[in-house]
Amino acid sequence: MSPAFASMKRAAEQPMQYAADWKARTGRKVVGLLPMHFPGELAHAAGCLPVVLQDDAEPVTVGQANVFNFYCGLNRSLIDQTMRGNFDGLDAIMFGDHCVQLLGTADVIRAERPSLPILFNQLCTTLDANWALRETLGTFEQLWKELEDLTGHEITTSSTLASIRLFNRSRAQMRRLYEMRRRGEIAISGRDMQTVVKSSMVMDRAEHVALMDELFAALPRQVGSSSDITVYLSGHMCHAPKPAIIDAIEESGARVVNDDLYVGWRFIHADMDESLPPIEAMARWYLDKNRKLPCPTRTMQGIDWEDYLLGEVERSQARGLIVLMVKFCEPHMYFYPEIKEAFDRAGIPHLLIETEHEEMPMEALKTRIETFVEIAKRRADSKAA
Amino acid sequence: MGSHVMDNVVAMTGSRPVFGTGERANKLKSTRFGSKLVNDYWNGVFAAKEEGKKVVWYNGTYIPPFFHSHDLVWVHGEAWSAMLAARHQEVGAQARGDQRGYDRELCSYARTHIGQMLIEMDKARAEGGAALEDPRMEAMMKLPPPDMIVNAYPYCSSGQQWDDITYRVFGKKVPMFTIQIPLLWGGRSDAGYMQGEEWHQRSRYVADQLIELTRFLEANTGRKFDFDRLSDTMGYIKKAAELRLEGMEMCKARPAPASFFDWIVSIAPMSFLPGDQNIVDYFQGVKEEITQRLLAGEGAVKNEKYRLFFDGMMNWNKVGWLADKFAQVNACVVAGRYTHMSFWQEPQLIDLKDPILGMAQNYLVCPNNHGAPIMIGEIEKHCDYYEIDGVVCHASRTCRGMTNSQFLIAGSAKKYGRQAMFFEGDVADESFYKDELLNVRLEAMVEAMEAKRRAA
Ligand code: SF4
Ligand code: SF4
Repeated sequence: MSPAFASMKRAAEQPMQYAADWKARTGRKVVGLLPMHFPGELAHAAGCLPVVLQDDAEPVTVGQANVFNFYCGLNRSLIDQTMRGNFDGLDAIMFGDHCVQLLGTADVIRAERPSLPILFNQLCTTLDANWALRETLGTFEQLWKELEDLTGHEITTSSTLASIRLFNRSRAQMRRLYEMRRRGEIAISGRDMQTVVKSSMVMDRAEHVALMDELFAALPRQVGSSSDITVYLSGHMCHAPKPAIIDAIEESGARVVNDDLYVGWRFIHADMDESLPPIEAMARWYLDKNRKLPCPTRTMQGIDWEDYLLGEVERSQARGLIVLMVKFCEPHMYFYPEIKEAFDRAGIPHLLIETEHEEMPMEALKTRIETFVEIAKRRADSKAA
Repeated sequence: MGSHVMDNVVAMTGSRPVFGTGERANKLKSTRFGSKLVNDYWNGVFAAKEEGKKVVWYNGTYIPPFFHSHDLVWVHGEAWSAMLAARHQEVGAQARGDQRGYDRELCSYARTHIGQMLIEMDKARAEGGAALEDPRMEAMMKLPPPDMIVNAYPYCSSGQQWDDITYRVFGKKVPMFTIQIPLLWGGRSDAGYMQGEEWHQRSRYVADQLIELTRFLEANTGRKFDFDRLSDTMGYIKKAAELRLEGMEMCKARPAPASFFDWIVSIAPMSFLPGDQNIVDYFQGVKEEITQRLLAGEGAVKNEKYRLFFDGMMNWNKVGWLADKFAQVNACVVAGRYTHMSFWQEPQLIDLKDPILGMAQNYLVCPNNHGAPIMIGEIEKHCDYYEIDGVVCHASRTCRGMTNSQFLIAGSAKKYGRQAMFFEGDVADESFYKDELLNVRLEAMVEAMEAKRRAA
């Protein structure tokens, strides 16, 4: 493991520890971000460390008194972590999303930590409405002011532009890594890819960018085993799937070539336009997101997640699709049947794995994945013949 | 949440729980008129196409005055699912949803409604081999298919996704309009119930979208929107809403002359029935009966000993059952978040000369469209006003819109010396309801209330 990667891994595994060290080092503020559409750029421009709040591996214990067990693992874990004091190092939380479960979580955090400011600015949910741009601009202007109040100093246009450039550069680096994997130039495991993206969500971006440069220099160029069957991973809109699940997929003779996971391609796929005034760049970035990668939490007529997936599976020459569905994730549950039917019609093998925050029966899961890989192989062979 | 409503619930014979004193709820008789109104309404819906009317499917808040004023027929998805559940006819629709792969943890209103759509499609295809575009399709479907879809969902993200699926089931052709009713988070220093910068800004935002809605309706019908007619319609609604609130306030009396369950069956008239003289008559009748009971000292629960507040979405499979259940332990559920904090709850905001802003504001004050502190503050006011002894939270399994703050609500109840309990169930999926759990917890709560009284 290269030293650069080892640093990323530390940050990804202990994000709040990383944030505490950063704060001690810089004396600046740490802002937690709830997924999934809010730009960290603004908090960065305000001189803060934006940290996308992650679920952690701990089972939900004290949190149970504040959240029902029919909420998704991210929400339950966030509440549990709040009550365990994990987020006590945060100076504020920025939050603008529309998943009903997250709204409840934010309220529990507010009740448990009344002195922690929550900068709630709800984004326009109808991306193609004729008022969407006006509203979104207003939302980000409001947030701009609130961050100024939080830090006590002005956020300048030039610092915001610099943050946008930095974040664009960071995303471009990670996309390059994705591209190399897709072309089979490097063998990077799904677990390691997750570490790369997750660490970018929680680290100082400039530091992450420097580590990425080191990583590229040290990456061994090798090709994945040609006997592996290529698969595409989809789902997990708000947080990272357990690495053990990705391991199980790869140990079953599959090679992940692409994904639309939040801790993955979804997080890095779109840049902000550096030629626009920063507020407008952010607004357009948000409003155009669905055209580039559809998100089931943001419906838009004429934009279909299943069509995107069919196209991407073909482009990345994946032989099958594995859907990782977070248990109790409503946006995903609505759209899964659409995906299933589209893939059935196209004759592309697909497998649904429902993931849980708690321990999962990995042995049974492995058997299912192995069967799926066998089917995908047979299908691929018969196509080739 | 939106306005989740149904027709008047017919008590199921033989569905009485054997529990407690065996006493049954003393229901208001005047609410029966609502059943007739609701039946007439649905018959109107089923006949819409024959009458050459255009049909809007909508989800969420009580926006029908816009449709009514524009001579459209409207179908409320939640009302449809709630009605199927109340009549115990939801199972088939849910099974069809399962078959297409909708997880049973998904909002059961949505699952039921979508399942029903799929069944209608299957039927039409099997009977006529018809494509969606085939004019015969319409005649074969019980629910007239939509000419337009309108979504106006406060708080719960599920609503917008549900409507997107409807749009897809109908071949992605039906024009759809989405109104965003944003959450009033209440984080700014001037925030309060119906006050502060956020309140004013959000009110304007929703009002602007409502004006856009009228343009959408004009564009899809080729007719001009009649704002005078909207004012007329709102005149009836405002009057009915005032009568309803007056009736509710009279239930401060002991024993309470009407219960939460009477207000539950009064949701349909307030939420989606046409804004005309009938709904005024309905609430006039309810108020008169309450007045008579008040004079006679007659309660909704015989021997009312405890007064409760009901939090959460209704369990539509169990309305009559639950009404009796509480009566059997001499507990009157006097008020609830769902009934007492929604559905034109602030009629004084509606200026009949220019009703749109006030309408927007009523949509915004939906009981869970506030961040928890303000919403819970409002619950506390209700509990104080009605002198509530305990809060019962229905943890409706698939409805996060209403379960979101329930731990905080239970916490606030306890803080003010009230008992609090949870029971499991769901809005429209009976399989999540556990009768034994409710029995045990309700008995324990009654004992605690009793002990507290003895100690006082
Ligand atoms: S979108 Fe899904 S995974 Fe994300 S918070 Fe909501 S329910 Fe959880
Ligand atoms: S989850 Fe609840 S609030 Fe949301 S759409 Fe369903 S019934 Fe309505």
